[in-house]
Amino acid sequence: MGNRWGYPDLGFGIGLRSVHFDYILKNNPEIDWFEVLSENYLDTGGRPLHVLDQVSERYPVVLHGVSLSVGGTDLVNFEYLKKLKALAKRTKAHWISDHLCWTGVTGLNTHDLLPMPYTDQALRHTIERVQIVQDFLERPIALENASTYLEFAASTWPESEFLASLAEQAGCGILLDVNNVYVSSFNHGFDPQEYIDRIPRDRVVQIHLAGHTNKGTHILDTHNDYVIDTVWKLYRYAHRRLGGTATLLEWDANIPEFDVVHGEALKARKLREQEDSRSAMPLQNEVAAYGQ
Amino acid sequence: MANDPGLERVQRWMQTCILNPGTSEEAIVSEGAQAEITAEVARHLVLPSKTLSALERLDIYRNMYRPRMEEALAIDYPALKRFLGTEDFMQLVERYVAVYPSRSYTLNRLGDHLPEFLTTVNDLPNKDFCVDLARLEYALTMVFDANETSLLSPDAVRSVPQEAWETARLKSIEAFRLLAFDYPVSLYVGAVDGENRFPRMARKKSWVVAYRRNYQVHRMDLTEPAYELLSALASGRTIGDAISTVLMRKWRPAVKHAQLFEWFRDWMAEGFFQSVELADAKSIGAQ
Repeated sequence: MGNRWGYPDLGFGIGLRSVHFDYILKNNPEIDWFEVLSENYLDTGGRPLHVLDQVSERYPVVLHGVSLSVGGTDLVNFEYLKKLKALAKRTKAHWISDHLCWTGVTGLNTHDLLPMPYTDQALRHTIERVQIVQDFLERPIALENASTYLEFAASTWPESEFLASLAEQAGCGILLDVNNVYVSSFNHGFDPQEYIDRIPRDRVVQIHLAGHTNKGTHILDTHNDYVIDTVWKLYRYAHRRLGGTATLLEWDANIPEFDVVHGEALKARKLREQEDSRSAMPLQNEVAAYGQ
Repeated sequence: MANDPGLERVQRWMQTCILNPGTSEEAIVSEGAQAEITAEVARHLVLPSKTLSALERLDIYRNMYRPRMEEALAIDYPALKRFLGTEDFMQLVERYVAVYPSRSYTLNRLGDHLPEFLTTVNDLPNKDFCVDLARLEYALTMVFDANETSLLSPDAVRSVPQEAWETARLKSIEAFRLLAFDYPVSLYVGAVDGENRFPRMARKKSWVVAYRRNYQVHRMDLTEPAYELLSALASGRTIGDAISTVLMRKWRPAVKHAQLFEWFRDWMAEGFFQSVELADAKSIGAQ
């Protein structure tokens, strides 16, 4: 199995965060790889970039952005892409990812991952934008399913099919955020397994895991806690569907010590190993196991 | 099929609603939102969930916008937030982002206009102090993000012929900002960082250089003549000219030659300069 571009299964990584800079540089922890928030390094020549240079010398690195606004209707920001491309070259990034969303229009940026109406028009528009971006970056990008909190009445596609169709037609990869699948399934009332079933396995280059905040009436994707058991079960299900895929643990608020975050990422390794050792088990049994 | 106003209108409408500081009802009936999608159509644009109405779902995005802006500005302006208090700082942020919303792919640039904006806020208590404080914190942010430049080494300094110093110019590193204030705001920032006690709020002129050494941001308080000399050097005046200008002025206490030597020694040690530009256009110390 694997994705069609041969992007490697990097193993189990965590997001590179400034609170861990000193620990990483001092201890050279045994971790498979780091994901780097692109925008934090595009406009600085100070310590963050100095640390990133050292980290990317020692570990595999992937760039993950939040401002591509690939679903947005403003003109593509080539100044941003130029800097992104330079950073990817500097860090020897294995791939570049962002989100299926828009972040602002009329020249503004809300710095939020805003939901798309899943219409034919939006699909055509986003396919064209992805192709422009990929042509400029000279590589396929991966787009992540964002957590969403509202749905548009005009949508004619389920998000999973929209994303799958976008990936097929635009020639891009998918960063499957398993926690986001769960969050959105809670908020919108769909079946998270069906969502994963619709994702073409050869397009998935990476998986995200994170904690969230359940507000009762809805769930917020806050990246501020441990991954909940239900999401772990969904991750196991995704692994059985997708096979070995680079997996990344995100923790962005109330960030604990490096070993705690890394330990959470390593749970994914353990689960994957358990799944692989049970690979003869029929998939239907595992489907039943999810949600117990 | 539900009414589809099209992608562009939907995005402009939603952004207008998010930026509107009122309630979601006020947002969708606002002139800006209705210029894109009428309130009547907007009420059916978003689907309700089993637990939330359409407007409550829109509110999730609206309610996260201002705290996100506040969080970003609090990172760059922690002392200003401390001075104003959480509530007043939040109110200031709301007024600021209404005038200067983010137009960048990074939130790191959100606060670029805050010092300038504060000068226009007439009902801000202790406004002049706040402006000075914001100017200093903005300078520290700029120093943090400035490009790294190589430092003028002691060997490079020794290689400059004695007779060449008078007409030579010193080029400062990029992570270097000189500031003059009407209030002791560097002491205030130091107090917030736990370096010293909080200063009296009385007006008192102060001079500061913000710079970076080994990727760490520092502040150094200066006397007025030291500030004048560094400013002259940073503006590209020759060393001889800069020194003469400072020595010609009457200072209390007077500036002595020995003090000049100490200043230069300290500034070199702190890594303020990257090269010596000689009169013959030769540059020493630059890589």
